[in-house]
Amino acid sequence: MVKMSLEPVQVMSGQVAELPKVAPSSNGDSGGSWEGKREFDKDHLGLTAKPKPPKPENAVTVAVSSRVLFRTEREQKVFEQKGVEEYLRYQIEHENEPFAPGPAFPFVKALEAVNARLRELYPQSEELFDIVLVTYNHAHVGIRLINTINHHNLFIERFCMTGGSSPIGYLKAWQTNLYLSADANKVREALTEGIAAATMFMPEKMTEVSKSQLRVAFDGDAVLFSDESERIFKAHGLDKFFEHEKENEDRLLDHGPLKGFLEALGKLQKKFYAKGQRLDCPIRTYLVTARSAASSGIRALKTLRAWGLEIDEALFLAGAPKGPMLEKIRPHIYFDDQMFHVEGAAEMGTIAAHVPYGIAQKHNSKHNTSAGK
Amino acid sequence: MQCFESGGAEDPDGLYAGGIAFPLLQALQKVNERLLKENPAESLLFDVILITTESQQQQQNSRITESIRHHGLKVSRFCFSNEEDFIENLLNNNVHLFLTTNRNEALQGSQKGVLSVLLDEHTASCPTEQLRVLFCGDAVVQSEAGSALASKQAAQSFSTQLGKMRGRFGPFDSPISIALVTSRGGRESCGDALRTLRSLGVNADEAYCLAGAPRGPIKRLLQPHFLLSECLSSN
Repeated sequence: MVKMSLEPVQVMSGQVAELPKVAPSSNGDSGGSWEGKREFDKDHLGLTAKPKPPKPENAVTVAVSSRVLFRTEREQKVFEQKGVEEYLRYQIEHENEPFAPGPAFPFVKALEAVNARLRELYPQSEELFDIVLVTYNHAHVGIRLINTINHHNLFIERFCMTGGSSPIGYLKAWQTNLYLSADANKVREALTEGIAAATMFMPEKMTEVSKSQLRVAFDGDAVLFSDESERIFKAHGLDKFFEHEKENEDRLLDHGPLKGFLEALGKLQKKFYAKGQRLDCPIRTYLVTARSAASSGIRALKTLRAWGLEIDEALFLAGAPKGPMLEKIRPHIYFDDQMFHVEGAAEMGTIAAHVPYGIAQKHNSKHNTSAGK
Repeated sequence: MQCFESGGAEDPDGLYAGGIAFPLLQALQKVNERLLKENPAESLLFDVILITTESQQQQQNSRITESIRHHGLKVSRFCFSNEEDFIENLLNNNVHLFLTTNRNEALQGSQKGVLSVLLDEHTASCPTEQLRVLFCGDAVVQSEAGSALASKQAAQSFSTQLGKMRGRFGPFDSPISIALVTSRGGRESCGDALRTLRSLGVNADEAYCLAGAPRGPIKRLLQPHFLLSECLSSN
């Protein structure tokens, strides 16, 4: 039995419920844990193993923005309504109040759970998830973020506080495999630079997700695959789409922005299989596509097979709504290129992330969340 | 605040070509311009002094002054010194920061308690519109014999002045940008470094906690004009 040291998180047990309004737990007595404490090199002293972060080239690097890892709505409001100086003042004033978990929090916790299992099986290996915190905040208000990471007992040792400039250069330097942000513009910039990225939103409710198994769900077209087929569908309609897919069944689809991330997940899964843990694997991947199994889905499967990628479950909905299916799967994150589906998923409590890629963006919904900092 | 620069490369036209420190000088000038714009009566400004110990250059002192003027740089004083005395010169002139490409000079300056910083070829390609200073949070401080303490105090005092200057501008569009990088330690050591800087009156704009990731790419992106590490050392 694997022992997980996961801090209880503000995720509801049992039913789906409203998330409480932001009430950051005031720090109180535990303030002593970080004030004026020097960091010793604990490994060197032979004390408790705080594991060393892996080298970026060996790890699967997931960069998360502070606005999706934590809930910062109140602070955002101060920024928008009262301006940057007041915002900075507010942050420093509340420096010892940790933020509450945001939409990416369960996902990050699940990544850490996988790491714990990987370390058990391969203690010397650096093929792990590495979580990097990225923020556009100025560094001197970053202390609140460090305090929050401490409070929630997250294993995040790398971060990037850019004071307003773009973090894309740093993401590339860290060979980032996935970037999650609240800002669609920054996500688009990352995608243009070839970094898998998606925009996350704070849903009204978040259903409870597994603490022991990381579940990642992907849409097919314009996420794992390119948007070439979607273009046909949008331009010429469903019949033409089916025709095109049938004719091209044996031609591989081109890759989409999240293909690399699925690949990275697959590599880690194989490490569990190698130790006989296929049935108990703490990573599970899903394809949730509007394609139908009997027809257009075949091309998708053939493409995945040709790429050497395994996906654990492929759900062909033939156009049926995705929400109920996702509610059953309960992924820690679901990637889709269409806001319509992202919103639909969120309504049912699924944590969905928007990949602003491909032809669907021209037809996108009313919700254009480009509210940046 | 006073900075010394030393050296300069020659150019066949008889004027000295832009040396490594040119972008730095231009950035320092930019800071002064903006400081005066905010407050025409501002007294906390950069004062740049050029020092050279190379006798060959000294014989051509008019060439140096010509070149400076030609390139539109503002240097308040020129100082021709010989190798034995130049440290005395630094001390007598109450220099807060000594910048040089000569490792020996930097070491000597440090030993006498003058904050001395080694410039390298990267400085030549730094921006000219913004002064970028990088604090290294957990660099190994090579405290060569003796006055690590004096040097540390000099570093702290310079940093405080720099922090004050930075404070004259808002969070964005500032002609000074202060970044912190911690290379080996985790978030706690970076948090500590941020607090130390804050206690010196320095509010960092950017912070990167590398926790063992390679420093090169980050430094290349940051493009600092120079690095400071003494005030954050743990001796």
